[in-house]
Amino acid sequence: MKTLILGIGNSILGDDGIGVRAAQELAGKISDENVTVRDVGVDGLNLLEIITGYDRLIVIDSIVTENGEVGEIYRLRPEQIYAPSGFSVSPHHFNLATTLEIGRKLFPGEIPEEVTVFAVDTEEATEVTEEMTEKVRQALPRVVRLVLEEISAPVARH
Amino acid sequence: MTKKIVIEPVTRLEGHGKVTIILNDKGNVDRARFHVTQVRGFEKFCEGRLFWEMPLITARICGICPVSHHLASAKAGDVILGVKLTPTAEKLRRLLHMAQLVQSHALHFFHLASPDLLFGFDADPAKRNIVGLITEMPEIAKKGVKLRSFGQRIIEMLGDKRVHPNAAIPGGMNRALQPEQRQEILDRIEVIIADCQFAIDLFRDYCAKNPEVVASFADFKSAYLGLIDDKGNVEYYNGKLRLKDRDGITVEDKVDPRDYLSIIEEKVEDWSYLKFPYYKKLGYPGGMYRVGPLGRLNVADGCSTPLASKEFQNFKKLSGNGVVQGSLYYHYARLIEMLNAAEEIKSLTEDELICGKDVWTSSSQINEEGIGVIEAPRGTLFHHYWVDRSGKMRRANLIVATGNNNLAMNRAVYDVAREFIHDGKVTEGMLNRVEVAIRCYDPCLSCSSHALGHMPLEITIHEPDMSVRQVLRS
Repeated sequence: MKTLILGIGNSILGDDGIGVRAAQELAGKISDENVTVRDVGVDGLNLLEIITGYDRLIVIDSIVTENGEVGEIYRLRPEQIYAPSGFSVSPHHFNLATTLEIGRKLFPGEIPEEVTVFAVDTEEATEVTEEMTEKVRQALPRVVRLVLEEISAPVARH
Repeated sequence: MTKKIVIEPVTRLEGHGKVTIILNDKGNVDRARFHVTQVRGFEKFCEGRLFWEMPLITARICGICPVSHHLASAKAGDVILGVKLTPTAEKLRRLLHMAQLVQSHALHFFHLASPDLLFGFDADPAKRNIVGLITEMPEIAKKGVKLRSFGQRIIEMLGDKRVHPNAAIPGGMNRALQPEQRQEILDRIEVIIADCQFAIDLFRDYCAKNPEVVASFADFKSAYLGLIDDKGNVEYYNGKLRLKDRDGITVEDKVDPRDYLSIIEEKVEDWSYLKFPYYKKLGYPGGMYRVGPLGRLNVADGCSTPLASKEFQNFKKLSGNGVVQGSLYYHYARLIEMLNAAEEIKSLTEDELICGKDVWTSSSQINEEGIGVIEAPRGTLFHHYWVDRSGKMRRANLIVATGNNNLAMNRAVYDVAREFIHDGKVTEGMLNRVEVAIRCYDPCLSCSSHALGHMPLEITIHEPDMSVRQVLRS
């Protein structure tokens, strides 16, 4: 099974860089030839070509919630982010779900069937900085560990 | 009695915007404001960094137009180094730039704008979007995806990352183009050019069926700004600034872009983080000008390539003085440019020099000021750097395309709102049209990769004491 681990975010936008940093750490820890690790600063349709050709996609990204605790990590399916739960405005996920929908319609069979999102609850980015807030920094080793567990588990546990 | 109507968010824009409409005592539109969510602190972030790093750093400002910032920044660096690029380096930079233009314009037209045109402004928003387009017109959507990915592929060839490119550096380029990469471009380019023409036909067809809508939609006069080459053709990478006033008269011509401060000033408004540039001589806000596809085509006398040139003539016929004002014509201009860029890619790639190995010019000189200006997909982009003698950044000033259009976007929203709100009553269809008006400018609203997908549109009508009177959702 070809797996893509994708860290999404902007490393000069504070907490938004969590996905990118997690991917960079994971790249040094994974040597399985069936697993590719990338970080990208884009979303939406720009992701389409990047995710094409994989069976499984694991995304690490930031999320801004209304009632959640900063630093908390949620394991989600992309469509769950549409759900009218406590989750409000996410910088990226709307487009991820839409992108998957578009990809599956346009390129059936080429888009990963199994998609898991590790979303780290963050402060909303308002200032250009490479520094992440303390709680999100503490979440970094945890999200890395969760992804490592995820790829070693044979079956998806949604 | 002042009422406030808030529209948030504007769906399908690449970023996050909010519209506020303020009514007067009689319930008619007094002011309309288009708020841009901006991330602060970029200038401070740059301080103390080497100018060499700037093309990489500025490419991270925006997940939508990273190549534009990357190139404007490298150009400012060229000036700091006091170097002239090798012919191959300049061609590679142009190739990268044209690839981004195709990528960006294709994305905008097919995936953001065409659902409005093909389904109609009043179609159900649940259908009037990219997914609806794919479901009902998959062939059109596929062409858009193909054009976009062609541009993206070239960007990837020249930079080692897909979206935040590491291709240009002060003094030239990081790497040469390989012969097999050149061949790949040449193998695909004819189909790409044909697809660009297809998109133009699509828009013409829309115009033929909806002549009144196209002619009247957010149609207002403004000045226009853009770069032109020495023949007066639209120019995206180098060239001189030309500014035409609201009546189509050239009031500034052949202005060296490094002297931009002699014609442009910026105004700060307390309700927006984004500054409002204006044409100095006409003052604020009378000096409103527009940039981007419409601005470029309006100031130019022609296009550099044959097919685009032919279409450019048709565009010019839309108005008596060669200046086309209707906001919907942004789409037409965008498509002509996409064709122009595809033809440019062909001609750049056919030239053997494109595979030259001499891609970088060294220099030990450090000038303390550098200005890089290009025409980004959304319009004129200025990067202005001040460095110390060791090359560390002291200050940076950026004027982005969306900033240049800031006054005009506010004006477009105002015009649409005024048409749809009378005596406190909001006519059906206003929401969609405000969105369409903003979308014409293709604003790049956040300095990050943040983007919203299909969120329901919301209007909140406030009582004078700001309590919510009514909430409307699309």
